[in-house]
Amino acid sequence: MNKSDHILQLKGVSKQYRSENTPALNAVDLNIYRGELMALVGASGSGKTTMLRLIAGLEQPDSGRILLDGQLLSDGSFHQKTKKRSVGLVFQQYALFPHLSVLQNVMFGLKPSGREKKRRALQLLEQVGLDSNPRKFPHQLSGGQQQRVALARAMAAEPKVLLLDEPFSHLDTALKDQVRADIRAIIKEQGMTAIFVTHDTRDALSTADRIAILKSGRLQQIGTPRQLYQQPVNSYVATFFGRQNRLPIREGERGFSTPFGPLSAETAATLHQVEGALFFRPEDVALCSDDLSALRGRVGLIQYKGRHQSLLLHSPAEGPDIQIDVHAHHEIALGDEVSFQFIDKAGSFEKQE
Amino acid sequence: MKEGRGKNALLSGRKGFNLRWRGSMRNYWVVLAVVLFIFISIPLCTIVVKLFSSPGPYWDHLSETRLPLYFYHTILLLLGVGGLTVVIGVVTAWWVSTFEFPGRKIFEWLLILPLSIPTYIMAYAYTGLVDSTGTLTRWSEGIFGVAPSGRWVDLMNLPGAIFILSMSLFPYVYLITRASFARQFSNFYDAAAVLGKSHTTIFFRIGLPLARPAIAAGTALAGMEVLNDYGAVQYLGVPTFTTGIFSAWFSLGDITTAIYLAAILMAFVFLLITAESWQRRHRKYTGEESHHHFHRIQPRRSQKALMTTVCGIIAALSFGLPLVQLLYWAGLTASSVLEIEFLGLVLSSFLLAGGAGIGVALVAIVFLYAVRTARRPFLSTIARWATMGYAIPGAIIAVGLLVPLLAVDRMLIDLSQGSWGLVLTGGFFALMYAYIVRFLAVGYNPIESGFKKVGTQVNEAARTLGANSLQVLWSIDLPLIRASLASSVLFVFVDVLKELPLTLILRPFNFDTLATRAFDLATNEMIAESAIPALVIITTGFVPILLLNHLIGHRNE
Repeated sequence: MNKSDHILQLKGVSKQYRSENTPALNAVDLNIYRGELMALVGASGSGKTTMLRLIAGLEQPDSGRILLDGQLLSDGSFHQKTKKRSVGLVFQQYALFPHLSVLQNVMFGLKPSGREKKRRALQLLEQVGLDSNPRKFPHQLSGGQQQRVALARAMAAEPKVLLLDEPFSHLDTALKDQVRADIRAIIKEQGMTAIFVTHDTRDALSTADRIAILKSGRLQQIGTPRQLYQQPVNSYVATFFGRQNRLPIREGERGFSTPFGPLSAETAATLHQVEGALFFRPEDVALCSDDLSALRGRVGLIQYKGRHQSLLLHSPAEGPDIQIDVHAHHEIALGDEVSFQFIDKAGSFEKQE
Repeated sequence: MKEGRGKNALLSGRKGFNLRWRGSMRNYWVVLAVVLFIFISIPLCTIVVKLFSSPGPYWDHLSETRLPLYFYHTILLLLGVGGLTVVIGVVTAWWVSTFEFPGRKIFEWLLILPLSIPTYIMAYAYTGLVDSTGTLTRWSEGIFGVAPSGRWVDLMNLPGAIFILSMSLFPYVYLITRASFARQFSNFYDAAAVLGKSHTTIFFRIGLPLARPAIAAGTALAGMEVLNDYGAVQYLGVPTFTTGIFSAWFSLGDITTAIYLAAILMAFVFLLITAESWQRRHRKYTGEESHHHFHRIQPRRSQKALMTTVCGIIAALSFGLPLVQLLYWAGLTASSVLEIEFLGLVLSSFLLAGGAGIGVALVAIVFLYAVRTARRPFLSTIARWATMGYAIPGAIIAVGLLVPLLAVDRMLIDLSQGSWGLVLTGGFFALMYAYIVRFLAVGYNPIESGFKKVGTQVNEAARTLGANSLQVLWSIDLPLIRASLASSVLFVFVDVLKELPLTLILRPFNFDTLATRAFDLATNEMIAESAIPALVIITTGFVPILLLNHLIGHRNE
């Protein structure tokens, strides 16, 4: 894609709150493509919400530039007022005006007047799939319904970018999958560019086109969910999406030796190694029958997770423990010795921090 | 999960049954609470019962000559003070909580301080300020070399009373409205700003409607103070129902007429309460707390200047000028007022107020314990009714209590064949009693919120370990809520210290508090001498006010 496809650009944006010692955002560069659904992930305090508020104009950056559709929104000195920006924001707690009906809430941000305004609001509510009377008040709706209203309200003024702050954090786990799919579908149908903030990696992996991961105000990596999960650029990104095992290896005559046993050169080649260690995720191995090529470890901890079970393995030699996820139907007891091998094409690792 | 909940309910149900009917201590709390409730409701019951007896000898005369005036003044005072406090209170609350302007941080608490000046003291200070020989004249002569001959403005009339009462009472509206803005507003403000709305639109379409319950609550409180006021309207010569009750009782000795007047005044109170709760109807939603810090808006320079100026003028009128006047008087009269006798006055006032504070706390604990341990809905209702005293003007409580207590006293005198004096009404019993009725809510609310914060789990844990409820109260609950307990006693202390009408009616013969002394001096043309007792009351009042400001109404910053 070429440059004009960037609808939103952040160039070296930094922000530090007066009350804090470290910057909330530190020289962040980020480009968002037109029509893209981007997830901003990071632990709490990583600066992801600050980034959202900077884009919305609720905060001013100390330095750096923010451009929307080629137009300057903010830099160190210039600051376009929030109300003049074409940015929609869905708040974490939805912030629906409690004294206005659902319909009035959606109409609040609409420009045309009279019947046209109402028609457009009703149309929006239909598009977000609100299955409730629009004359009701926010407190009479369920959390999921309130979210749809908030979405409709934010989309009403047809903003160039839609921002969503932790859109899934208030929902029951059982509902989440459906809501993720619904929200993605609504945004895609409207052809909106959207950025959502989340601390839940599952939200990001399953919903976003691309993910940007932040740590202490610095951007760590941007890429598709698959890229971030399989080719993390550093150990922070790697462990952010789940457990990552580190296995020290020594080169021998016929392949490698590890604390858990020998490893053929062919298998080792499919894994990524950095500075004498292999990195892989718990699901990259499977239990196997005991033969010469298998690795062996003693079970130190079993956590039954329903779909699978996680085993913590001690090595026969000195070395770190590793965690492997295996089928739940294996009957394994504490202290058992198990054999395992790498399944085809394990995760790789390009660079360590 | 469902099963677990059911089992729990079953368990606690059965346990509750056992504890309710077999736990002996629990029943004592309930019995005590019910008995106390009966005592607390006596004053109001007296008024209601006495309404059905024939009116007193002066009623007919009074209803023809004075009653229309009482109505006229009371209604106009309510409307005038209500309107003025809303305008001043809401505008300042909006500015202070949303915008950044020079002096904003100072005004934030400076605008609450007028609450420490009781209405009657505000009236005394203002007469001194605008007098032809008063402070404004001296300043004007000192600075400009000229001053008007005679009074600057005449405040001894209805508009004057409206102004003076508003200056003292607008902080009620300001404080509660500001807390409402601070609590729920920043989220909504951002949401409306993102949707492209201006400050003014946001204020009228989001801010005002959301703060409406708070504004109504603040105005209702101010209204109750207006109805309660005796000292200011008496001094300014604006007779209302309170002054009517006083003259019926003190000048005419006609208590039934006083009670008739009290009943009408009570109708005003109910009107106020009904209006307040009517406008709160359908409001089930509660505001969400804001989570991120709100950035105050930077207005244009001219707007900043306007905000600072207006807030400055209001702070000067409601606090600065009256205080200067009182300090000036205090300087003049210090040598004659500050004698050993004055120390005794301060001490006895403090003892009385402290005693009332502790009494209120004890009664509040009984009610709260009954509610907590028995968990029966009628007890919550009782507690709610028992704390209604704050809405009832002190004069009403006083006459409502005086009638039955005098009757008992007469009976005792007859029984003892004259060897007993006025046991109940002659000493401090009636006064204490009345303070507890009137200020129970003031002391109840902090303790209740303290209990809420602690929760019931530690209490139950102690009980499963074999402690009875008195032991739990003493060794677990009271230490845990000691901060709430302290603020409860403190709030009541300050309120009692400045209380005037009730104390005037029920005080023992020749006993003075700081408030009654200030009142007596002021009404006996020794207004300058009243400044020092007034200043003691005001300075004591600072403490809980600043505490209150610290506790509520701060945005996350």
